[in-house]
Amino acid sequence: MPGITDKVELQNRIREIERFYRKSGRMPSYIEIGALVGFSSKNAVSSLVENLEKQNVVARARDKAGKLVPKSMAMPVKVLGTVEAGFPSPAEEELVDNLSLDDLLIQNREATFLLKVSGDSMTGAGIMQGDMVIVDKGLTPKSGDIVIAQVDGEWTMKYLRKRGDTVTLVPANPKYQPIKPKNELKIAGVVTAVVRKYR
Amino acid sequence: MDNQPLNIFSFPQAIVHLDADAFFASCEQAIHPELKGKPVITGKERGIVAAASYEAKARGVKRGMRLFEVKKVCPDAIILPSDYETYSLFSIRMFDILRRFSPDVEEYSIDEAFVDLTGLRRSFHGSYESIAEKMRNTIETELGITVSAGVSLSKVLAKIGSKHKKPNGLTMIPGREIHLFLGKLPVEKVWGIGANTSAFLKKHGILTALQFAKREEGWIRRYLSKPYREIWHELNGRSVYPVVTETKNSYQSISKAKTFTPASRDETFVFAQLSKNLENACIKARKYRLAATRLIVFLRQQDFTSSGVEITLSKPSAYPIELFELLRNGFQQIFDAKALYRQTGVVLSGMVAESSIQYTLFEDTAKIEKMSKIYASMDRISEKYGKHTIQHGASLPAKLQAQHEGERGDVPQRKIALFKGENKRQRLGMPLLHIKV
Repeated sequence: MPGITDKVELQNRIREIERFYRKSGRMPSYIEIGALVGFSSKNAVSSLVENLEKQNVVARARDKAGKLVPKSMAMPVKVLGTVEAGFPSPAEEELVDNLSLDDLLIQNREATFLLKVSGDSMTGAGIMQGDMVIVDKGLTPKSGDIVIAQVDGEWTMKYLRKRGDTVTLVPANPKYQPIKPKNELKIAGVVTAVVRKYR
Repeated sequence: MDNQPLNIFSFPQAIVHLDADAFFASCEQAIHPELKGKPVITGKERGIVAAASYEAKARGVKRGMRLFEVKKVCPDAIILPSDYETYSLFSIRMFDILRRFSPDVEEYSIDEAFVDLTGLRRSFHGSYESIAEKMRNTIETELGITVSAGVSLSKVLAKIGSKHKKPNGLTMIPGREIHLFLGKLPVEKVWGIGANTSAFLKKHGILTALQFAKREEGWIRRYLSKPYREIWHELNGRSVYPVVTETKNSYQSISKAKTFTPASRDETFVFAQLSKNLENACIKARKYRLAATRLIVFLRQQDFTSSGVEITLSKPSAYPIELFELLRNGFQQIFDAKALYRQTGVVLSGMVAESSIQYTLFEDTAKIEKMSKIYASMDRISEKYGKHTIQHGASLPAKLQAQHEGERGDVPQRKIALFKGENKRQRLGMPLLHIKV
């Protein structure tokens, strides 16, 4: 019975082939597959390909060259989802693509700005004076978002609340009152994250 | 004759030229939204206008104007120190946004780009006009600055288009309408045609770009050199200049010049300024694995007169220690103890690839090896801890004194408003919004 580790190993091999395919825009040759997964014998590669063919990951072209064609492999592979049973082991966790803090905090780099908080109107939302907030100018603000807005000439950071046609800016500090714009409301960006460094 | 089209097609190819409006000033207005609609000027630390917002231009402020003159014509102008760090971030972002539309983006200058749009109509389900408009809109929403654009068949024509409606305009010049745009355009306004050429053309009765474009090829071939023949083709809607996509990775020359205030007649200090420029130029040369074969030294006085000297090196180099003696000699040739200096500069030129340097038999290879090790370590230390962590003693007086008088008030806010973990030399590569919330 194939154990979880075998499956993980197979997934790893598929990922190697997939990475090659994405990078070079073509499927690797048998020799290249050998180099990718660490097989020195062509036989081992051939049985791996056979296995992958069975699982509909790749297929062999029907011409005499028998070149490989990607099947399910060309679609995004959900890595952890394929392990049906058992506790994820630390090794499996490594399979997930690493996300850097930058990737996590920044969605659209070109539209992202930093802002140092000077007021205390959002302390209830965990945004303190001196914190760095990350502001995205490209997003369409939705109700419930924390926004940087200009209301009747004054700049502020508040929750945006939309009810029907009325828009309210709601603070997260009982010291302040919600604001209903009288004349003008300009939204400079949506707050997507707050960063606070302690040491 | 004049209403006869130069080209019968509308867009056999499409090139857009985008030019950010009052770029430095607009960046400031984007990160200080309360400055929108106000006359903003950058260049405080230099004492002259580096950029002026359209509001300031409307009041008569011009580039290069002295700040005391600005205060006369526009007393309520907001004068800010240049924040090049933020401007470069905006510039990089502008090019990155454009690359979402087409891979063929030429970074022509910090605030100008050419983009080849040919063949993209299908993927964007729209006209070239709508693609250009979408580019402008995306830059405006995401960066908060406006750009003017021109779309036409060649780079020269696209550039005419982007100047046609400024600020925040879009001008389409299809082949059939080229003549309508060139008829009123003085020939010296065409990109690449200088004062000498336009004077020559005038002698032959060519006053407008259209008259130039309509000259028959034989005449152009007989009287003009290749660059002008190319411009002539471009004006006729036949694209000659390609959109060059690769970013600059080599240089013919590297120049570094810095002004300082107050002006100085202190020989050690002025030489230190020069030495710092030499170090900076060499750092850049080493970064691109280049070495110089010529060195130009120049000094500029308070009254803007300048003097310079060119020195040929005995062998290519990018190591200050090898160049100091020559630098000192050159400096002493032009330094006048009675004069007041405000700027020094060096130019490394005749660049060759570092790998192509050949050493002669008489050179001490061990010494060369040692030197290359020392500079490689210096470059690594600078990369880790910031520029000028280690420098030559000769440059020290320049480091000990602020580059500009009253520098404290003239430093961009980004350099002062640091986040925990940032320092004087290393900051997050992201612009800071200066809004009090």
